This record gives sequence, structure tokens and C-alpha cells, in this order.
Amino acid sequence: MSKLYTFLKYFFITFWTVFVVAPFLWAVSTSFKDFQSVNSKVTYIPWLDFEPTLEGWRVLVKSPAKGGVDIVEPYFNSIFVTCTASLISIVLGTLAAYALSRFTFKAGFVRNNDITFFFISQRIMPPIVLSIPFFIFLSTIGLLDSLLGLVVVYIVLLMPIAVWIMVDFFNRVPKELDETALIDGCNPYQAFYKVVLPNSIPGLIVAGMFCIIFGWIDFFFAFILTFTEVQLLPVKVVALNSSITPWWSLSASALVSVAPLIIVAFIVERYLSKGNLSGALK
Amino acid sequence: MEEQMAKIDLSNISHTYNPLDPKPTYALNPFSMTWENGKRYAILGPSGCGKTTMLNIVSGLVRPSKGEILFDETPVTDLKTEDRNIAQVFQFPVIYNTMTVYDNLAFPLRCREFTKEKIEERVKAVSDTLNLSSFLNSPARKLTADQKQLISLGRGLVREDVAAVLMDEPLTVIDPDLKFRLRRNLKEINEQYKTTLVYVTHDQNEAMTFAENIIVMDQGEIVQVGLPKDLFEKPKTTFVGYFIGSPAMNIFHSTVSSDHEVKINDTTIRTNSNLGNLKDKNVKLGIRSEFIELAEKEKSNTVKIKLTRVEDFGNFKLLTGKMGDLVIKSKVEREKPIPDGELNLYFPPEKCCVYSDEKLV
Repeated sequence: MSKLYTFLKYFFITFWTVFVVAPFLWAVSTSFKDFQSVNSKVTYIPWLDFEPTLEGWRVLVKSPAKGGVDIVEPYFNSIFVTCTASLISIVLGTLAAYALSRFTFKAGFVRNNDITFFFISQRIMPPIVLSIPFFIFLSTIGLLDSLLGLVVVYIVLLMPIAVWIMVDFFNRVPKELDETALIDGCNPYQAFYKVVLPNSIPGLIVAGMFCIIFGWIDFFFAFILTFTEVQLLPVKVVALNSSITPWWSLSASALVSVAPLIIVAFIVERYLSKGNLSGALK
Repeated sequence: MEEQMAKIDLSNISHTYNPLDPKPTYALNPFSMTWENGKRYAILGPSGCGKTTMLNIVSGLVRPSKGEILFDETPVTDLKTEDRNIAQVFQFPVIYNTMTVYDNLAFPLRCREFTKEKIEERVKAVSDTLNLSSFLNSPARKLTADQKQLISLGRGLVREDVAAVLMDEPLTVIDPDLKFRLRRNLKEINEQYKTTLVYVTHDQNEAMTFAENIIVMDQGEIVQVGLPKDLFEKPKTTFVGYFIGSPAMNIFHSTVSSDHEVKINDTTIRTNSNLGNLKDKNVKLGIRSEFIELAEKEKSNTVKIKLTRVEDFGNFKLLTGKMGDLVIKSKVEREKPIPDGELNLYFPPEKCCVYSDEKLV
């Protein structure tokens, strides 16, 4: 019985690992191939039996005039928009979440939970519903096809995530912690940033991670709200495709696109494994 | 804001958590009370009786619906918590996870801008008292639950000039041995620094051994304030009789038969209470099991019971017997021989308490 269990355990772990890692390995291998290597039959070992070339990678940094697709600028645009929007969302979202967790609001039939749900409902709506209002809104204030406009829209998209995670987190931080800080002589603001906030770092990290992921992978709004002036990475990657699918450069761009998320995951994982996240509330 | 320890007056305080309701339910019914400077008080009562609300009102975490709080005759009702100079310790350890033990203990002093030397001196003193000296540099979150509670306690005691230290069942999570020592430490601190200590508990032994004055509460009402001895011997209501002492006070339905006598079933019991204006009324007779004596034969003020159970507690025996359908418990010395079957119990008149409408006559 236990032998079967061990076998199944390792079997599924192996299966899952292959399932997750194989596409990456495939992409790594493909990114160093050229048209010939991708389309011809393999003689000896699949994936490894080819003459490596950097063509797929070079295309990403060459200017369009030289037959490349320059993703460097969109890459930094994406980093800027994602980081700025995430940061602002975390700051505003954390403040909102703290208020929602600690104070009781009443306006007609509206209570704290309703306000929290209102935030989350922004994410429940299909994005297409928001596209026209956002388009009109940005064109009215003249921010269409600009980084700032994208930041504004992304804040709207990311803040609900921050609020949602942080409300839940603050609700699990005992309110005696704030009260103790008050008794110890802090005013409410000091109690928040000297005591509650340092205790909430694990929550902030998780919220930040989600904001970064959702900001980074968004294609829909980046596609609709920009044209020529500004482009974000996902849009540019899609634009790589043409009548002959350039598997090599698509693979290379996929790898550079997920790289920041992998880095983020490693940082967050370090925090999670330190036990900070679980032990913070007891 | 440098208040010294103060006399605390609670004047006509009452509190409800749903003030907008047409029929608000009161967590605390109107009461007035004075906490003298430098005394030890225990607030005793079952869960949900308003003990914590009372503390939170004093520390300013809750603003009372009605009434006024005065520290040394100065009204502080509108003063915020951080300006009140009160220390409060909660039931469960509240520590600043991101700081070391030293920083935790120093935090209240830093917030109030004490000098570095003073902070060092006080943290050292408090950590010595609480056996925390060897942990000062470790992160507070690494400690065990009872050590964390010691930190909470330490933060309460680190300021010498507080108006009062309020403790909300602070020793629940601490093991019995340390509990005993800490209670003694708290007593010493109180005697040494003359800090007013207010201690909320639902454990009567804790209250009895710790406090000079005990405040018994029930359902938002202060039922009795007094010395441990008074609460034990002359409980003002049947609730106090039930709540304090182990086993609870024996309480019997009875009828007043003359100026000083009541009848339980058909037995007449003489008491020292004046029952002149309660003739023929239904009252309750209360007597502690400690005061009931074994009588060798039937005489005045004895009741005949059928013994149903004898429990040996080591230092005493607890007899449980029945008189009709009434259950009577009596504590007797362990050495005393217990006759089988029926026996007579003597109720000393001076120890009998008569309750009309649950209140002591």
C-alpha cells in the first residue's frame, strides 16, 4: 500500500514537473534554432540535434529598419507601467483595506462588505465591458496611447486585487495590536505605519506579487488603449507573428517575458519559506 | 502629558454598542465607582458581563455612551487613548512581531520620548522582574506564547508614571507555576511603585489572592464591591453566592415564618437577619458549605439529610445529601467520621444569609 502510494506520489510529481518544465525547455531549445532547424527532421536526438544560432534573439533587439522587432522599449514600458501601477495600487489599496478592516461604514444599506465587494466587482466584470468607457475616458483627458494613461487604467485593474488581499490580511491582524500601539502612546497614524504596517509585510508582498503578475500579463487593455506612440511587451510579442511563424524569436521573447515573473516568484518564495507569512499573526 | 498615578473616578458610566437602536441593549448599566490611587482591584464575572468594556472605557478605546471619567478630578472622557497614560494588557499576547524583545519593551517609552538612559534602565528593571533578560536581543516572534505574554505585561509595566495598569485576564496563557510567581510580582510592583492595578478575571481564586478589592459583575451590572472576605461570607446577591466559592453557596427556596426564622420544607431555621416585614413571603436561604456543621443529634437549626455522596478532596470531604428534593453540600474535615445514611447538619444562624428578590436582606 505504502509502496504504491510512494510510487504514485513520485509519478505525479515527475509528471507535473515535466508538464511545467518541458515547455520552457522546448522554448529554450527553439529560441536557438533557425527556420531550417525548426522545420527539418531530426537525425539523432530531438531538441538538441541542430546548429545553434542567435538569430531568434537578435531579432528582438534589432530595429525594424534592419528587419528586426525592437522589444527593448516595450519591455521597459511594461516594467514602468506595471511597477508604477502596482506601487500606487498597493499604497492606495492598503489604506483602503485598513479603513475597511478597522472602521465601520454605513451609508444607506451599504456596509463595509458591500464596499469591499464593490472593489472586487471591478475584476468580476468581463474586461470588454470596461474597454469603451476607458477608451472614451482616456481620449477625453488626452491620455490615450500614453504611458500615464495605461498607468491610470492599470491602477483601476490592480487596486481591487490589493484591497481584496489586504482586507483579508488586516482582518486577521488582531485589532488589539492597534489598540496596544495606541495605549503605548502612538497616534492612529503612527500605530498604522510603525506597528500594523511592519506586521503586514507578508501580506504586502503577496498583494504586490499578484499586482505585478496581473499588470505584467495584461494584453487586452494594452492592445486597445495604445496605437503607435507607446507599446507594451505583450502587444509587441503578438506583433512578432507573421505569415511564417517565427518560432525562434517567439520562443526567445516568451522567455524574456516570463523572466521577471520568475524572479518575482523566487523572491516571494524566499519570504514564504522563511515562515514570515504564517507566523506573523500569532 | 506627564500625569502621575491618579485616582480614577467613573461617574454614571453606561455603555451600549448599538446606540442607534430604538431599544439599545446595554453592555454596561449605569454605575459610579472610584479606584483609589495605588490599590489593587480585581473585576470578577462570567464571560460577556462587561468587564472588558469597562477597561476599554477607562483606557479610552471605547467612549462610554453616557457618563464621565475623571483622573484626579480632571475629566478625560474626551481624551484619546494615546493621551491618557494608561497601560493595558490583553488576554492574548500582543507583540510587535517585527521588533526584538528589547524594542518591544522600549516602545511605550520611545513613543513618549523618554531619554535613552531612562529607557535602558526601565527595560532592564522590567525584564529582570519578568525573567526576560536573556531574550532581550531575540526577535519577539520567536518566543513561546507565555513569554510573549510576559512581553505584553512588560510593556504595561515599563512606564512608572501610568495612571493605572489594566489587565484583561493576562495570565490565561501562562503556566500555573509562573502564574503564581507573576501574581506575587505584580503585588510587589504595586507595593513598590504604588501603581494602581486593575485585574480582570473570571477565576475567583486569582481575584481573591491578588486584589484588595473585588468588583463582581454580572450582565453589565456591578453586583458587589468589597473585600474577598465580605464576598465570601456575605454575598449581596444569590449570583455572588453562586459565583464565588467552590462549591457554590447552598441556596434553598424557603418561606419566612417569623421575625428571624425561615422554613425550608418543614424545617425551621433561625437566622440573624431581621425578616419582620417579609412575613410569609418566599425568600431564599443561602449558606456556604464551609459553614455547615455535622451535628450528632437533632437540635434547633439542624436539618436531616440523606447522604448521597462523599467526595474526598484530600484536605476536606465534600458531603452531598438530600432533604426531600433539595440538595445540600457541606465541607467537613477529612478526619471526621461520616455516619451512613441519615445525618443531621447544623446551620449556624450568624452564617445564614436570607435573599429576597435575589438580594441580601
